[in-house]
Amino acid sequence: MNPETSYANPEAVVSTEWVSQNIHNPNVRIVESNEDVLLYSTGHIENAVHIDWTTDLQDSTIRDYISPEQFAALCSKNGISPDTEVVFYGDKSNWWACYAFWVFRLFGHKKLHVMNGGRDKWIEEGRPLTRALPQFSPTNYPVPRRRRDSEIRAFFEDTLAHSNARLPLVDVRTPGEFRGEITHMPEYPQEGVLRGGHIPGAKNIPWRTAVNPDSTFKSAEELRKIYIEQNGLNPSDDIIAYCRIGERSSHTWFVLTELLGFEKVRNYDGSWTEWGNRVRAPIEKG
Amino acid sequence: MITNNQHQNLSPLPQKLETIIKLFEFLSEEEKRETLIHYADQSSKQAPISGESFDIEDIRKDEECTDTVGIHLRIDPNGQTFWRVSLGPKVQTLTKALTTILCRGLEGVHFQQVLDLPHDFIPRIVGSQLVRARSQSIYYVLTRMKGILRAWLAKKRLEVLTSEKN
Repeated sequence: MNPETSYANPEAVVSTEWVSQNIHNPNVRIVESNEDVLLYSTGHIENAVHIDWTTDLQDSTIRDYISPEQFAALCSKNGISPDTEVVFYGDKSNWWACYAFWVFRLFGHKKLHVMNGGRDKWIEEGRPLTRALPQFSPTNYPVPRRRRDSEIRAFFEDTLAHSNARLPLVDVRTPGEFRGEITHMPEYPQEGVLRGGHIPGAKNIPWRTAVNPDSTFKSAEELRKIYIEQNGLNPSDDIIAYCRIGERSSHTWFVLTELLGFEKVRNYDGSWTEWGNRVRAPIEKG
Repeated sequence: MITNNQHQNLSPLPQKLETIIKLFEFLSEEEKRETLIHYADQSSKQAPISGESFDIEDIRKDEECTDTVGIHLRIDPNGQTFWRVSLGPKVQTLTKALTTILCRGLEGVHFQQVLDLPHDFIPRIVGSQLVRARSQSIYYVLTRMKGILRAWLAKKRLEVLTSEKN
């Protein structure tokens, strides 16, 4: 898979070149996941299907993810079987690709990959896009027995207990959001958060520190320096990562888990839009 | 001298814009998406053409949008507005679509009518499925258009005050 072999899970990342050579591989399903809701329709990698973070991965009423039955239906519809190598890519340096990767992992799908550099790198390299929608025969994806929430997902109560116990919490937002100076992220409108600041005890390691200017992931050596040497995290630590709604922290979850081999990292997807609105939730500023 | 009186008795939505909105209201969600993509594809045509001059321009990258957006405005002696908008490549597709729609829908519209426009017509165009978290930038271009009009009005008032003093 032409991986960066020094990553803990070298197969978690595939190159744009690898994807271009596997566009017609029947064992591979390329999935585009974006923040920009219409971007896929403006052009995508040939044979890539679209999985939308809101309408496909989240419950349409409650703030939660889809059920195992809905996940099986989503995979079946897109011609994905349990043995399919699913390759995610997208905009925003692969935020939503990592988010979709994390949701697929919640349901136990094993063969998951992220295309390094995402959509921006593919375009930067002059590779072609198409508007033609791919057609795949539906599969009969078995309904997963459960969603692995307790393993890789943290809820408010878990995060509060983590904070009280002074266990490692990684706030991946921008320093301005962390310090409570702004209640939205730069370049975005307010998303309805009443209080600014961070969860007591959290360390601010912005997600962006893990990527190069071309949106590719930094090397394993560089990532070890950032997370282990400079910020004192250990691969055996019990870690919770959070941001505003869980997409940037799924990027960091991917880096820590797949690229550095950390053993227990959970993504608090409620993140700041839950914590910053919660009555009496403790907050630190500065 | 441009006055607000010329704007009296106008409906809240300009006719060209109303026509576009009505078109969208007839479309299914899927057709809406396709039409929005079509409008987004046309957004580069809304950029200033070489040699055009404007009464006021506002080109900046600010915190509410993912790339630089330039608003270029010409206002004729009757107060009618003519818009050009330049967009950086990372601007979201919905914002690109709204740029084309607003440039076309507000062409020749009196400045006061633009300032009075409610924002609630935008969801009628975009559709309920696309108005959601992380797509709030759909309001951005209209907000910037109103902002440049206010700046232009302030400039005009200052010019009047200065000439009266002299």
